[in-house]
Amino acid sequence: MISVAKMPRKTNLKKRSSLLCAVLNTMESPAKVYIYHLKKTDRVDGYKKKMSWLLRDLKTLDGKSAEKPTTEFDLHFFEKTFKWSASTLEEKESFISSLWRLSHRFLMQRPEFINVLEKLLEDIKDPHTMREKSQSVDDISMEAEDYQAISPKEESDLELLMSECQMAISNAELFTEQLSKQLSVLDGANIHSIMGSEDQVLNLMRLLDDGIKEAEQIEEKLDSYDKILANVKEQMEVMREKDSLMTVRNRNHQRLLEELQNLVNQLDLDLTHMQVLMDGDFSNATKIAECTIAAQALHRCMNANIHPSLLRMGAVEEQQKRFKKISANFSKTLIHHLNNLFIQEGNEIGTLSRTTPENKLPHHNRLHTTLVQFADLMLWLKSCNESVFQELSNVYTKSISKVYSKEISEFLEQNKQKLVNAKETKTKHAALSRLTESTTSLTKLDPRGRSGSVTSSELKTSSALDLTNRGAFDQVLEQVLQELEKLCIVEQDFCFKFFHLIDKNAPPEEGNAKDKDVSTGGGDGDTDVWVVRQNNSSSDGDFVTENLGGGLLQKRPTVTSEMRQINDEVRKMMAELFPQLETDLDNFLTHADRQDGLYSMYMLVRMSQHVTNSQDMGSYIGKTFGNCLIKVKRNFDRYIDSMMQTIKETKVSKKSKCGIISFVNHFEEFSTLAEIIFRGSERHADLDKAYTKVVAVIFDQIERVALEHQKTPPEVVRMENFHKMFSILSHLKNPCLENDRKEAKQRYTDNLKAYTVNLLGRPLEKLHASLTCVEARLSKGMKPEEIGYVVDFSKQELRKIIKEYPGKEVKKNLEHLKKKVEKKLCEEENLIQVVWHEMQDLFINQYKYYDSLMKKCYPDSNITLEFTIENVLQFFSDIAQSH
Amino acid sequence: MVGSGGVGKSALTLQFMYDEFVEDYEPTKADSYRKKVVLDGEEVQIDILDTAGQEDYAAIRDNYFRSGEGFLCVFSIKEQESFQATQDFREQILRVKNDENIPFLLVGNMVDLADQRQVSVEEATKRAQEWKVSYVETSAKTRANVDKVFYDLMREIRSRKMEASRQSNGKTKKKKDSTKKKCVIL
Repeated sequence: MISVAKMPRKTNLKKRSSLLCAVLNTMESPAKVYIYHLKKTDRVDGYKKKMSWLLRDLKTLDGKSAEKPTTEFDLHFFEKTFKWSASTLEEKESFISSLWRLSHRFLMQRPEFINVLEKLLEDIKDPHTMREKSQSVDDISMEAEDYQAISPKEESDLELLMSECQMAISNAELFTEQLSKQLSVLDGANIHSIMGSEDQVLNLMRLLDDGIKEAEQIEEKLDSYDKILANVKEQMEVMREKDSLMTVRNRNHQRLLEELQNLVNQLDLDLTHMQVLMDGDFSNATKIAECTIAAQALHRCMNANIHPSLLRMGAVEEQQKRFKKISANFSKTLIHHLNNLFIQEGNEIGTLSRTTPENKLPHHNRLHTTLVQFADLMLWLKSCNESVFQELSNVYTKSISKVYSKEISEFLEQNKQKLVNAKETKTKHAALSRLTESTTSLTKLDPRGRSGSVTSSELKTSSALDLTNRGAFDQVLEQVLQELEKLCIVEQDFCFKFFHLIDKNAPPEEGNAKDKDVSTGGGDGDTDVWVVRQNNSSSDGDFVTENLGGGLLQKRPTVTSEMRQINDEVRKMMAELFPQLETDLDNFLTHADRQDGLYSMYMLVRMSQHVTNSQDMGSYIGKTFGNCLIKVKRNFDRYIDSMMQTIKETKVSKKSKCGIISFVNHFEEFSTLAEIIFRGSERHADLDKAYTKVVAVIFDQIERVALEHQKTPPEVVRMENFHKMFSILSHLKNPCLENDRKEAKQRYTDNLKAYTVNLLGRPLEKLHASLTCVEARLSKGMKPEEIGYVVDFSKQELRKIIKEYPGKEVKKNLEHLKKKVEKKLCEEENLIQVVWHEMQDLFINQYKYYDSLMKKCYPDSNITLEFTIENVLQFFSDIAQSH
Repeated sequence: MVGSGGVGKSALTLQFMYDEFVEDYEPTKADSYRKKVVLDGEEVQIDILDTAGQEDYAAIRDNYFRSGEGFLCVFSIKEQESFQATQDFREQILRVKNDENIPFLLVGNMVDLADQRQVSVEEATKRAQEWKVSYVETSAKTRANVDKVFYDLMREIRSRKMEASRQSNGKTKKKKDSTKKKCVIL
């Protein structure tokens, strides 16, 4: 049903003909509110809808002013704004308030009312009052409907009634009577029917009473049921409780079962395992592997994670007891077996060492591979029974250290022997070469070739042969160090693995072990598997410089404290395994050092190399080598000291001319050899220090020999030897010796000059003496012209002196001089030409100087020397030709 | 080593002796060097006399020319005068040694400074052909041909000595060959 309630509100606008009205349309649902703009049509009192808007489209209503009464107002719709002016203020206000009310009732989004009197908006604030209002409005409209005309149906009924009584019109009285008769009949019937219905009412009442009774009965029944039910409820609750108890019990049972199952699983040791453990058979690799697995299973069982309270269970206790027994039995057999192995190994020394190849330490790969199979079992043993494990490792170290000590000392003894042999052949060779040398010197083919058959034989040997022999020592040494290193590292790795001194974070040793085998196969020179390995294991090149004492600085890689700790443990074991190693090695090195001091250089270089190689592995051998390195460094220092001592004590032959002093020649040999040995070694700094010390001593000793020597003038000794030293140092090109080199050069040139000046007094000795005095006078301030009047320097005197030096005599003197030079100088340094050149130069300069001096002091006297400069040059040419 | 002053005689010598190049120039008076080298598998010893280029009197040189067994006559390719001076040196050497076939090498040094060249290869080669000697260009700075000139000269000296010993066939000479050989280069 659609009920339409129109509540038009009309507002007369300024334009007389227009009306604005708000219309509520409830036909549509939800109800919509429109604003219509109506315009008066031409017809009288007719209006036409001109525009329509939805109220919800209205954005703002602007009342223009809240205080000042005005009839104007604006309607702001979405798209447009319309300005209106009401005819009266009341009309405007009622329009606005009705819009307000409508918007409040029907709109979610209300338009904004601005500049509007507050009271207009207030009057519907209370919805109840509003409703009452609207209610009253409805009543009024109902009242108005009573006055409405009779409906068409009533009209037709009336007409029908009228037509039935045709006479009515004519006889109204009769009609009225008839009507009242009918009315009374109808009244009677009505009363009758009302009377008749009393029974029915009574019946109804009775029925109602019955119904109530029935209901009461039912209620009663229900009550009884209720009671019964209450009873049942109690029972149900009891049952529920029981049920939950039962589930709990069930669950507990299940858990218990699971726990038990778990326990049994954990404690169940496979029968085969058990059998294997009982048997304790280690005869081959698979058996050992089986044992390992079984032992691990047993270990698992014994250390199963069982609740402490369960441990009190009889069965568990029993099982544990059994496990303990098995474990004890098994470890007993294991220990027995290993003990046997160790001791057997210890007793096999003799046979083993004999089968190894020449000059190699026997390696124990066989034992290691046998034992490595037990590594896991050892771990088991360690975790099972620490003390037994400790005992076992003690047995191992005891028996194996015997082997190693024996082997190492034999090995070193062997090498010592080798050195002695080498030395013997060397001395033989040296003797031989000396013999040939002497025979050659006997033939007098090259008498100067002998570099003075002098000095302690220690230092002076045929150099070429020396080199090869010493190279052989280097090889022996390298072999020894390499073998020891190899042995120790293999053993160390093995101990890591076998005695589990290191955790699993250690690099896997398997691959390395193979490398080792390869390198033992090669075994020659510097097969640097070790170096490669070293690079692998040291993550980066962090080196710390460590002072090993005695000014011996050693670079070594930094080791993390963790590694060190593990290493300490290993070192301890290694120290027990190799108790004699350090002393043996020390003995060997001392022995070698006694053989030849020079060897200390090889040892220093090699040892330092090995120390850097092995240090980063934190190995025992590294530490041992480090200790030895200190001793070797001391040996080297001692060697250098002894060399300096020898230099200081060098005696030169007094019979022949000096020539190059033996220690200078020896220094050349030494430096050449040392450069070869120390090439590329970080120990070169030590050598540099030694050089500076030795060179300083040599320089001092050259001076000493120069003064001591009787046959050769000191200038010649110095000149020749410093020339030689300069040459040696130039060859070395060692920046540390640059100053010494310069000094050598300086001393050489100084002495060359000194020697020539000294010698040159001779050919014109008297003239030289006289003119030197003249010169002295002149320098004291005497005028050149006055010289001639001094008695000693008169023209006559001068002429007398000049007479003594005719050209022939001068030439003879010069020749004599040349011979003297040749006699004093040695062939080795080949300085004759240099000296003679200097001499010629100096002589010519002297001649010129005498000449000018005479011209100055004795002008116009016509005194000249009896030979010209051309004569002098001719003398030189002749001397050259006569040679 | 003979030649005018500043042509690089000492530089060549030091390069040969010690593998070093000295930039600073310091006139030499006279200096002697000795080195053992392996020449064609045979160990020999050479004495090098490095001489002064500046000399007031040529006669002073007579003595060491006399003692020399072979000569490296050096000039600088960027100095015509030094090339001309080689003529005088050659003549003096021939006069003193009185030997046309004395081991002798004409050496044009400083070839590393070829952009300043004043002496062409052609004229140097021509002069060398006239003298029947070889001409080699070297650089003491870059070590180019340094070993070559010394070794070539040593070979010449050795073959001369061998020849001499064959001719004389004397016992003493033979023995000398069996021991170390000595070459003296001026």
